[in-house]
Amino acid sequence: MEALGINLPGLVAQLINFALLLVLLYIVAYKPILRMMDQRSSRIKKSLDDAEFIKEERGRLEKAVETQLEASRREGQALVAQANQMGERMIDEARQEARREAETLITRARSEIELERSEAMTELRRQFVDLAILAAQRVINRSLDKEAHRRLIDEVLEEGTRTPQN
Amino acid sequence: MAKKGCLPLVVISLVLLILGFLFLRGPMAHIQLPAESVTKPIGFPLTNTILAAWLTIMVLVALSYLATRRMEEVPRGIQNFVETVLEVLLGLVESVAGPKNGRRFFPVVATIFLFVIVSNWMGLLPGYGSIGLVETEAKEGFIFQEKDLGALKLALIPPGGDKFTEEDLNSSPPLKKGEVAGGFVPFLRSANTDLNTPLALALISAIFVEYWGISTLGIFRYGSKFFNVRSLLKGSLMFGLIDLMVGFLELVSEIARIISFTFRLFGNIFAGEILLAAISFLIPLVALLPAFGLELLVGAIQALIFAMLTLVFGVIAVAGHGEEATAMETHTAVAPS
Repeated sequence: MEALGINLPGLVAQLINFALLLVLLYIVAYKPILRMMDQRSSRIKKSLDDAEFIKEERGRLEKAVETQLEASRREGQALVAQANQMGERMIDEARQEARREAETLITRARSEIELERSEAMTELRRQFVDLAILAAQRVINRSLDKEAHRRLIDEVLEEGTRTPQN
Repeated sequence: MAKKGCLPLVVISLVLLILGFLFLRGPMAHIQLPAESVTKPIGFPLTNTILAAWLTIMVLVALSYLATRRMEEVPRGIQNFVETVLEVLLGLVESVAGPKNGRRFFPVVATIFLFVIVSNWMGLLPGYGSIGLVETEAKEGFIFQEKDLGALKLALIPPGGDKFTEEDLNSSPPLKKGEVAGGFVPFLRSANTDLNTPLALALISAIFVEYWGISTLGIFRYGSKFFNVRSLLKGSLMFGLIDLMVGFLELVSEIARIISFTFRLFGNIFAGEILLAAISFLIPLVALLPAFGLELLVGAIQALIFAMLTLVFGVIAVAGHGEEATAMETHTAVAPS
């Protein structure tokens, strides 16, 4: 052993040296560096997870926006269709109203015309009677009782108008 | 083309060879197994290998301290370098031992690797084994030429310097003027060229392997690897004896491991030192550079072997054994690498 150079003090010294180195390196190298490496890898993992989460979230939001858009489009279409319908109905109503109004106008006009005509007829008849009396006065040249004549003629006319009507 | 390129190379090599022989030839290798004691401060010898180990420790700790003094999230410079080294080591350890045990084994395995590789490589630096004290009372050593620089007295070994032994002292003519004969005690000597260092490392390795085994499996399950009396208690005499024998062999291999650890590292590094010394004497300068390259490789490989074997033995120790091992310890199985 002595010839090989193995001796207790040397061995113990080197054992202590190694233990010392182990402790010192653990304090100044392994612990801080492993911690830093773990920190870094956990941070990287976290950012990857975050990125994944954000991607998922974005997908979900996109889908939500898409469905919302779809819904509003459908709603818009429904609104437009409703408006169209309403418009048509209003036009229809207006047209009907107009027609009705026109009809009442026409009927009223017709009745007015009728009234006017009958009035004109009555007037005409009266003038004719006057004229006939005047003519008869000229012919007979004598004055008849105007009232009696009128009554007489009226009776004739009455009969005359009634007879063809019936 | 090849011939044109060859000629200058040959000329340069020849010039270097001649220059080397004239000025840079080392002395004939002086081979001594035990480490030289530089001083005896408190009664115990302070050897040059212990000094070298201290220097290694200082370098490693200083480097780590500088690397982790101001740590940044994005590493730069020395922090990046140290982190890279440790990350590679951690990856290696975790790939063999799995993430959980890898973290447990890592400090010891990494420290073994770093200590061995740094002390091996530092042992190749100039100054190691070439600067030291002259012991005039020594029975054998070198013949130095003295140079007086006033405050400092230097003794140099001339290129291709002679060795002397005890017989030379008695027979040969007395020393010339300005010459002094004495033993050479270098201040620094590669730590692993002293058997105490690899032995200490091997003991540390063995202690931690046993500790890991016991702390994982419990003392009785781990101990049953060496004293397996289960079959004997079941009443089977033959299998009982076989198990006892196997346990004994396990115990022997555990001890043999320490010895092979010690001598593998010591042998490689010590032989490397001798190789370099011999080459610097035989073919200085020209053949020395490739030899230095080889020694760099050897130093790194030995560090890796020492660390990896410790790791593998640790994995085997915590992996359990026997029938129940496969069922209970599958999580410690060797991870895919």
